[in-house]
Amino acid sequence: MLELIEAALRRPNLIAFVLLLLWGLYITITHHNYVKKLVGLYIVQTSVIFFLVTTGAKEGATVPVIMSGIEAPGADDYVNPLPQVLTLTAIVVQIATLGVSLGLVSRIYRRFGSLDEDEVLEKLG
Amino acid sequence: MTEHLPALVFLTPLATAISMPVAGHRRPAVCRPIALIAICCMTVLSVASLWSVSVHGEVRYSFSGWLPPIGIEWLADSLAATMVTAVSGLGVLCLLFADGLGERPLGGRAVPYYTMVLLLVAGLSGAIYAGDLFNIFVFLEVVSLSAYALVAVPGGRALVSAFRYLLMGALGTAFYLLGVGYFYAATGALNIADLSQRLPGLLDSKAVMGGLIFMFIGLAIKMALMPLHGWLPDAYSDAPAATVPLLAGLVTKISLLVWARILYWVMAPSAEGGTLTIFALVTTFGILASVAGACLALRQRELKRMFAYGGISHVGLVLIGVGQANETGLAGAMYYLLNDAVMQCSLFVLAGFLALRYGASTLDELARAHVRNPWAIVTFVAVGLGMVGLPPTGGFFGKLRILLGTLEADNNIAAAAVVLTTLITLGYFAQVFEKLVRSGSESASADQTETPWPLRATMAALVAAIVGLGIWNDQIVALLVDATAPLGI
Repeated sequence: MLELIEAALRRPNLIAFVLLLLWGLYITITHHNYVKKLVGLYIVQTSVIFFLVTTGAKEGATVPVIMSGIEAPGADDYVNPLPQVLTLTAIVVQIATLGVSLGLVSRIYRRFGSLDEDEVLEKLG
Repeated sequence: MTEHLPALVFLTPLATAISMPVAGHRRPAVCRPIALIAICCMTVLSVASLWSVSVHGEVRYSFSGWLPPIGIEWLADSLAATMVTAVSGLGVLCLLFADGLGERPLGGRAVPYYTMVLLLVAGLSGAIYAGDLFNIFVFLEVVSLSAYALVAVPGGRALVSAFRYLLMGALGTAFYLLGVGYFYAATGALNIADLSQRLPGLLDSKAVMGGLIFMFIGLAIKMALMPLHGWLPDAYSDAPAATVPLLAGLVTKISLLVWARILYWVMAPSAEGGTLTIFALVTTFGILASVAGACLALRQRELKRMFAYGGISHVGLVLIGVGQANETGLAGAMYYLLNDAVMQCSLFVLAGFLALRYGASTLDELARAHVRNPWAIVTFVAVGLGMVGLPPTGGFFGKLRILLGTLEADNNIAAAAVVLTTLITLGYFAQVFEKLVRSGSESASADQTETPWPLRATMAALVAAIVGLGIWNDQIVALLVDATAPLGI
């Protein structure tokens, strides 16, 4: 048990990621307001992106552009650029999802005059 | 030229989708023919690609000459080529069906509607071809986003269903991406071929197992696996009649295909350790989904919901085949996947036709309607035989092969589940058939209106596909086994 806690404390980024993920899931599931559900969803997606970025982090490393004048650049001097590129694509996907979902929410509001799930379901009968 | 075919198959609908707003800006009426022509071209190209793959073997296409694992790779083996042919063929049929159905005209909304349909088809073919886990994620999201928008087209109740679908689907993609992140953190690779070489030493790693489970949860939401199926019946019964065949036939199947790719092409089933536990887990969920889905279908009074639950139970059947970790099961599952795409498409074509022509969307309304349309009845008989699994349809041979796979793996419970599902499926199809045949015996007025030719063509082609898949089942399964041969299961 103690080793587990110790191992977790050595990776604070993972603790932050798990907290964000669970928090987002909790909001999505418990709240009845459509916009708040979306906020929860957004936090879940952001937590995954956060996880991806932190896997590429490295202490004391710099951007992966080879400068002139440096002899024999080593892998330790540069961060891995791939997770960041993946993140960029994931953010684009996230924004597209958010756009579609906000579009749906605004149409639901115009049609039913409410953003509350219970009220909308009541009107649907 | 032939080596570029996989890229062309994907680019045809994508380029048309992007140029659609320009082409349809002045006259939205041109959108439908343009979309139809684009998907017809795609079908021709994908048939050519299938032919070239079956003659010359699989193609690994690297975009702009960047070789994998650095570049983006398109993996066009005979499995992918067959699936893409099915996707584009069904796309043509669905557009034809929409043409003949004569729903409320879309007017100015035709431009976004057909853009979405084309994006959906492009995303599907991309997800089939993609040779690395991250691009699969991107294309799954393209498919899902178009699907959310298409479900919401009628407005009203459909908006709420689409929103629920979106919430579930977006959580699913987030979990899938998380699994991909775990895999990348553990191996430093995303390309499927690259991963399969790096993984064998890492199978005991918790990161790999965790990643696999997260990917399974994500894909299970997208394939509507039993406890996570909540979004599907609502979304499919509220979406426009012309769109559901496309969604029901293809969207959930793509996640199943991706999951089979991950299990067999990335993880080798012969490997030791935790992998076998994953296969057992997949089989268990398959058994649960197939039996429970069929039972729920039996209880439905509404046609579309009944067919939707039937689809959920068939997802379970495919998973049973995938979970057997042998070649017979996998080839049977992939063959059944192909059949299921065609059958789901036909079921919702029928449901849409009965609802719009006869106003019959529940079993009771069907019993009152006077359905004497030979095209609809022949299609219903063919698809009913296929869903229940009677020869000469493809459904029979698919179920048979899955059953043989379970027996080969000595998994008697799974074999029993396949048989039980077949019996329950027979139960609910007998119910619909009884209503269809006895319908309106008291009213003598025959329906005089001619069935428009696109509808007749769609139904005839679907029946031909259901029966043809059965007649040539040996050849098609040989193609699919060809794709799995290098795995050495």
